[in-house]
Amino acid sequence: MEPSSDKSHGHDSHDDHPIDLAKTVRTYLKVGATLILFTGITWGVALIDFGSHAANYTIGLSIATFKVSLVGLIFMHLNHEKPLIYKFLLFTVIFAAAMMFLTVLAFLDPIKARFGA
Amino acid sequence: MEIPYTVSARPDTGLYNAKVGIWLFLASEVMLFGGLFSSYVFLRIGADFPWPFHELKVLPGFINTMVLIASSVTVVAAWASLKARRYGWYQINMLITIACSFAFMCIKGYEYYGKFTHYSVILEDGTVFDGHPAHASEEHQGDKIAFTEVKEITLAPGKSNLHFLRHRRVSEGAKPFGKVPEGQLVKVRLPSNGTEIELTEEWYKGLQKQYWDVRHARRDLNTLLARIEAPKTRADDLRKTGEGETPVPVDFRKVEAFLNEYEKLKVDSAEKVKELTAKVKALEGAAPDVVGDTLKLQVVGNPLVFLVGEKDLQTYNATGVTFRDDTVLTGKMTGDSIPFNIDAIDLRQVKKPENSLAWKYFPQLKEAYVKHREEKTAAYVQKHPSHAGNYTEVSDWQHEVLRIPLEEIMPEEQAHEYLHDEAHSVHIDRADKRFYSNFSPSRSPYYAIYFLMTGLHGLHVIGGAIVLGYFLVTGRKMYLNNPEHLANRVEVGGLFWHFVDLVWIFLFPVFYLM
Repeated sequence: MEPSSDKSHGHDSHDDHPIDLAKTVRTYLKVGATLILFTGITWGVALIDFGSHAANYTIGLSIATFKVSLVGLIFMHLNHEKPLIYKFLLFTVIFAAAMMFLTVLAFLDPIKARFGA
Repeated sequence: MEIPYTVSARPDTGLYNAKVGIWLFLASEVMLFGGLFSSYVFLRIGADFPWPFHELKVLPGFINTMVLIASSVTVVAAWASLKARRYGWYQINMLITIACSFAFMCIKGYEYYGKFTHYSVILEDGTVFDGHPAHASEEHQGDKIAFTEVKEITLAPGKSNLHFLRHRRVSEGAKPFGKVPEGQLVKVRLPSNGTEIELTEEWYKGLQKQYWDVRHARRDLNTLLARIEAPKTRADDLRKTGEGETPVPVDFRKVEAFLNEYEKLKVDSAEKVKELTAKVKALEGAAPDVVGDTLKLQVVGNPLVFLVGEKDLQTYNATGVTFRDDTVLTGKMTGDSIPFNIDAIDLRQVKKPENSLAWKYFPQLKEAYVKHREEKTAAYVQKHPSHAGNYTEVSDWQHEVLRIPLEEIMPEEQAHEYLHDEAHSVHIDRADKRFYSNFSPSRSPYYAIYFLMTGLHGLHVIGGAIVLGYFLVTGRKMYLNNPEHLANRVEVGGLFWHFVDLVWIFLFPVFYLM
């Protein structure tokens, strides 16, 4: 089915050039396969003890972060996005980190540290 | 009015408006889920109970991860298809995406169902039995408390309703707690005149109306009497201030004025008082059963049988039960134990596992437990020599050794019998029970946050699937008219979908693997 008219022609400023569907989908399939492979690896490494819980969590969450980066960069097109989006994300990261820091603060109790529990 | 910049980019942002909108929304979503992950960390670090790690079945979570990744590929392929003006491919990819969301929710539903039908009993000494209640069908006692020989029902018409009748059962030969046949009502004798009536909602509503009519008439009379007495009380209070160890000068003119007011009110209201008193007497005479606050009804015919869940009760003892609405049944409590089949014993919160209450119910398993503990401990110490002196304090050792799925200490077939065979069920004394629940949010903070986060994520999946489904069903017209507009819509919907996938990528290891 072909569209009768294409109003976008000449309007769209950033994604106007025709897309090579087969090539693009091949890329997405490769990324998808990588993500599934790393899901398996996450499960696999969870069965291995790396010496401490901290090490186990760090490795598990690092793989998850790698997977999330792939989704963000390729599927969500963050590898070639406009600057405004990156500015939004910068603020998001700052606020999300602040929230995590609040949890850390809850366990850095100065009264407890000075006088004991 | 035409909405601007749905297709072309706004010059100052370089983006079409919907894209700015979705990214702002996703930013807020990151903070929402970020806050929840932060709460998870807070709960986990601060937990004063053994955190139930490695207790969820990994396979359903793993399959769901793959399903979501596949749907992420297809949704972005659907967008690329529109960009390449291949509507057929767009439809196929979008259809797969929606099918994936459906599969995801089905697997999630299967997992949730498992949680809601899996129970655990925490005993007073901290011992935990996981499993499920034995014979939970309506005809059996299940985890309910049985009251038989109930010959007297005490209602408090101001508070009680007749909901207690829902717990009624009938005893029929092999079925001690059979369902009550349709339309079989309870017959009782009224205390005032010995009349026999059937306990129906209609009769009870009439009784409650009489009850409240009497109360309202009494209230009117009492309010009037209190109003008459008020000036006299004030006069008495004023007079008293002039007495005692530290007297205060009294304004006797005021006292006089109050007493005069009192006398006047008494005379003026005499007629009204008489009228209200007569009304109260008339109402009480017409409905002697509601004069008192409670009404004792004698059961006519065979005594009644009840099976009541603990949460519906206020208190109970050997001779009676009080419901939360103050209804009291007097009879005989014939059983309050919890019949339970187990699939695991958890001793992590018991001070001395060898003296656990578990061995009161399963003395035959103690020997196997001791052997299991010795073997597992030896293997653990060999693997972690640095913990040789303090292994009992390590959560991994506790998890491996003190949480005992039955199939680890007996053949699988036998463990299956312990979970499903009535002969292997135990009757846990309710006095030994500290907490009893299925694996719902009330079970522990872990399950509370598990259901909160996966449930919220599930709602996102449903919401995303509805939006993408809408694009699929209604997209043709827009595609023919302006394909780039549809491509942009799908891109925005797809961005949300990828975010949903992204959240799951973190949820999977956090809940299932760590």
